[in-house]
Amino acid sequence: MDRIHKLSEEVVKKFKNSGYDVNIKDVYKRLKLLIDEFKVPEDEAVRTVTNYLLKELDIPRDKLVVDSPLVKIADIGSPGQWISLKAKVVQLWDSSSPNVSQVGLIGDETGIIKFVIWAKANKPEVEEGKNYLFANVVTDRFGGKMQVNINKYSRIEEIDEDISLPPRDVDIVGALVAIQQNSGLIRRCKICNRVLTKGVCPIHGKTEAYDDLRIKGVMDDGENYYEVILNEENIKNLTGIGLEEAIELARKHYDREIVLSELKNKLLGRYFRFKGRRGERYLIVNDIEFLQYDEVEKAKEILSKIGGETIG
Amino acid sequence: MDKFLKRSVAKRVFSFELNEATYKVESDEKLVQILLPTGTLCSRVFIVGVLLDREETRPDSDFWKIRVSDPTGVFRGFVGKFQPDALENLLKIDPPEIVAIVSKVRIFEGTTSNLVTLRPEVIVPVERDVMNYWILETAEQTLKRIKDMKKGESELVEMAWKIYNPDLSYYESKIRDAVSAILKVEKEEEVSEEEIEEETADISESFEEDLELEIPDIDEFEFEEEEIDLNDILG
Repeated sequence: MDRIHKLSEEVVKKFKNSGYDVNIKDVYKRLKLLIDEFKVPEDEAVRTVTNYLLKELDIPRDKLVVDSPLVKIADIGSPGQWISLKAKVVQLWDSSSPNVSQVGLIGDETGIIKFVIWAKANKPEVEEGKNYLFANVVTDRFGGKMQVNINKYSRIEEIDEDISLPPRDVDIVGALVAIQQNSGLIRRCKICNRVLTKGVCPIHGKTEAYDDLRIKGVMDDGENYYEVILNEENIKNLTGIGLEEAIELARKHYDREIVLSELKNKLLGRYFRFKGRRGERYLIVNDIEFLQYDEVEKAKEILSKIGGETIG
Repeated sequence: MDKFLKRSVAKRVFSFELNEATYKVESDEKLVQILLPTGTLCSRVFIVGVLLDREETRPDSDFWKIRVSDPTGVFRGFVGKFQPDALENLLKIDPPEIVAIVSKVRIFEGTTSNLVTLRPEVIVPVERDVMNYWILETAEQTLKRIKDMKKGESELVEMAWKIYNPDLSYYESKIRDAVSAILKVEKEEEVSEEEIEEETADISESFEEDLELEIPDIDEFEFEEEEIDLNDILG
């Protein structure tokens, strides 16, 4: 499809979204004349044709909705942006507030994000498993996470596309670049299994507790990062330090923190291959090992790439 | 506050490229990002190299200047008490030693030139095969960026061309040398570890001299940033 044809379709679509039908052949002819014959820049040509059509069809300018840019979920980074998304409804949650019509998760192939449809937005309800264009929604940060809000200026349109979701299972090579707080030899509440901070359970206060070994960390492959949780078995396989060894180590040094610094020295800055499943925030690791690879093979492969590109 | 922000990915970049970066992009959230000559933004790096030396900037200041080499040159950095884990480890290390570093990058703006430095969050001694993998991985990711530069499609790439106009064939030759060195070591198994480390140190020394000419006195750069770090912690 040539460029002018594509631009014409965009113009037609813009009018259609606002409820007006325009003739694509007419649009194409006008754009072609301006761009090819008169060498008018593309955006000026589109603007000129749009203005012409508005006048011709006697449409007030504010009736023509211009959609916010279409982005992928992974690209959503800051709050207060107007965007459009094509996404599948992954999960609907129970709304606890009368102000909220629907709340849940939507996803595309790059990620999953929470969405809120305000009651005031007055939109038809979306269904789990169906695909929609969410046009002109606003990004927001709530409770430390990004979400998108659907308000009365937004538009929800069911689409005839099957949006794929990010693979739940991952197999990644990356470096462990951080180990977060509440890692190492920790204590958990006997009633609810939550991790105690300074001997206190966030729910049950001072309570009976048991020891556990875990690491909350960040794996980074230079392009993405993954928050991971390693359990006792993972840690024992990698370092030889299991729960028993950790308790022994702490007893010997009269210091529980020694376990964490020992694990940091053995694991931080190293490369791993790990397989796991995506949770809402953390990656649950099924299988993890120190990276093993063939140095010579990989070096040769890289050199061959440089050679090829220099000649070409 | 930090945990609410999206974490920035640790880029893989050789020292010769990072040291050529001069252009700073300040986005919202007060995040300082540096535009690399190969057209990508970078606020954090992961490097594995040889810690050559550490030197306290003033006696009892607890503020240490470090130099870390990779096969293409030297990274410079500062470690202070605001990175307690990194500082504690740094003081235990007896250079030269292979270390992995996770670090924020900063640009000091001097009167005649800008200087990129590291602010390590993590310093930890690691094994030789970790360093070799880092070299290969960094070569791969730099080549990928070079490919994108040649395609010239993104805004950042265009900006990098405009600001740096990098000689990509020079970049490729640097990468080729770094990767070839691994094959060489593999062949000459009899070469002892110390000898290789000395060699690396030599290369960095000579690179160092070039740098010193451009940057007359590192101490002329004020460390105002400490105040910013302090605010971060208090806020």
